[in-house]
Amino acid sequence: MNYKHITWIVLLTVGLASCGQDPNDTGVEYAPNMYHSIPYEPLSQKADNPNKINDNGLNMRKPVKGTIARRNYKTTYVDNEGKEYDLGLMIYNTHRDSIEWAQKNLKNPLPANEEIIAEGKVLYERYCQACHGAKGDGNGKVGIKYTGVANLAAGQVAKYNGGHIFHVITHGKGRMWPHASQVSPVDRWKIVEYVHVLQGQQDESGVKAGEEAEKEEEAEVGEPDEQNLTIPEGVDMVNPDSTETMMN
Amino acid sequence: MFSHYMKRLIKVKSLLAFTLVFLWAAPAMMAQEDSTAQAQAQSGGDSDVSVDHGKELFNANCLTCHNPTDVPKTGPGLKGVTDRRSESWIIAWIQNSQKLIQSGDKQAVALYEEYNKLAMPAYEDFTEYDIKSILAYIDAYEPVVVDDKGGDETTVDGTATAGGEYLNLLLGGMIVLLLLVLVVLIIITQLLTRFLKQDENLDEADKEVVNQRFDLGAVFQSKAFLTVVGVFFFLVVSKAGIDKVMNIGIQAGYAPTQPIAFSHKLHAGANEVDCGYCHTGVYKGKSANIPSANICMNCHNQIKRSSPEIQKIYAAIENDQPIEWVRVHNLPDLVYFNHAQHTVAGQLECQNCHGQIEEMEVVQQRAPLTMGWCIDCHRETVVQGAADESNEYYDRLRAAHAKDGLKAADIKVKDIGGLECSKCHY
Repeated sequence: MNYKHITWIVLLTVGLASCGQDPNDTGVEYAPNMYHSIPYEPLSQKADNPNKINDNGLNMRKPVKGTIARRNYKTTYVDNEGKEYDLGLMIYNTHRDSIEWAQKNLKNPLPANEEIIAEGKVLYERYCQACHGAKGDGNGKVGIKYTGVANLAAGQVAKYNGGHIFHVITHGKGRMWPHASQVSPVDRWKIVEYVHVLQGQQDESGVKAGEEAEKEEEAEVGEPDEQNLTIPEGVDMVNPDSTETMMN
Repeated sequence: MFSHYMKRLIKVKSLLAFTLVFLWAAPAMMAQEDSTAQAQAQSGGDSDVSVDHGKELFNANCLTCHNPTDVPKTGPGLKGVTDRRSESWIIAWIQNSQKLIQSGDKQAVALYEEYNKLAMPAYEDFTEYDIKSILAYIDAYEPVVVDDKGGDETTVDGTATAGGEYLNLLLGGMIVLLLLVLVVLIIITQLLTRFLKQDENLDEADKEVVNQRFDLGAVFQSKAFLTVVGVFFFLVVSKAGIDKVMNIGIQAGYAPTQPIAFSHKLHAGANEVDCGYCHTGVYKGKSANIPSANICMNCHNQIKRSSPEIQKIYAAIENDQPIEWVRVHNLPDLVYFNHAQHTVAGQLECQNCHGQIEEMEVVQQRAPLTMGWCIDCHRETVVQGAADESNEYYDRLRAAHAKDGLKAADIKVKDIGGLECSKCHY
């Protein structure tokens, strides 16, 4: 064999071996017919198994207009002792312009205790802290860039009640956009309890500011009064979690 | 000697730089002292207001929407607001701007229109004293502080680049020096060879050295060379071949280009957005979920609106077209995996399987996602809930394993069925 040939072969091999993996290449699959789902699956690659029926080749379909998410139809919360709290149905169907109505009529169906507030804190850190900051002062890393984020711990905002905060999480307010599609109603009520702590309205075990520890039992809010949950006149009730408003 | 002089030079130069910086910053520092003195004098002079109280209120209530300078934020910049509007008007506006607008006040309506009808919250609890204190703070606020900050930054940058320049200069100098040495050496060898060639009294061996020529062909054809090349070639080919075979079905390292250049490093890393904010299913269901465009819009209705990458989100919403993200982790269909099971019951962090996701510009699959990888973890991982004696849910499990002599803290995933075939394959 001529030495020239050997040089070329060596150069070629080294060149090919040093290329490494193309980041866009998934590589060779041993049994693709076992790896790729034959039925249509949500969140799977379109190129694998293009859907010929739905628009845009999507495997998921948009729910029919006006569909109510099952989680909002009837929600109950069971605490550690096994006590069940009925979260009702209609209270979540508030219209985005009904903040005053929500403030007056929506009552937190969850008890203000250590367990709920701790859960609320985890959820607050997940959904709110990026803007409102760890102390609720509106100085989160994103909040500084977004500007105009409310300080939950001072001024008028620190006085808002649960119904108001629930409505703001659901529909947004001012510069804040609705978070109904991300945060379920139960989680929203848990966040409300923790926001009350940041507002200084209660401490982390649910004792209201200015109240003695003995009165804790009374401070807990009972089930919402059905009488109050009627649709106010002139307000068009639309489910905030229906597909219509979710896409806003 | 050279380095000694160089060190001296650097010392002298850094001293010079420090002196210059100090000379430049000194007047600014003095100015700041002046302004604090001024502010103190002002607050002392007017006993009705307190600049400190105003500052406290301003930072807690106003700063998210207003700058005390003339730079507008969500609302107008407030510098010189007392010159633009009357004090009574400002008090009425702050206490309830909507009331003032509805009363038909021309100034109020114009302002409301100018800022896109974004209502300022009512501060009905603010007393006249509170508002006057805030105004006093705005009047006393001197942007000198901001300038000083900027000055500090530039000086820091300045010294940093100066240091870098010295290093570059040193390196450049050394390269030039070495090149000079090389040239000189070549010239010397050539001169010597020429001189020796003229010498008649050389013996055979010396002549051979002087007349030596480099024969490339002979080297390539030598046995030793061919053997080395042959062995090297064999090794490289076998390594490449084995790698390819071992990597069949393993996609670790897969980092596809996404339709929008989304950076986890920026969002989850620098801005500390929680993973669950966008991946809404990760604590609730099988899939972590890819966020829909409305979740992007929660922030990007304001932030970086003109960026071409963000424009792609707007286009997707306008055209009602889904963004075609490329799935990175393709777990085979023959295996079942559930996120919630691992994040809630298992209490695992995202990084456990996804690597340092908060440092990735482009998401890359880090774990091999092979069965061996899953099983290894199931063999070693302690069941968190069972180890926690206060968790009553696991009482019966602990009792059952106590019979086999297994302590609560030693119950691993493999002991509760983590190695059963049908747990994941069915």
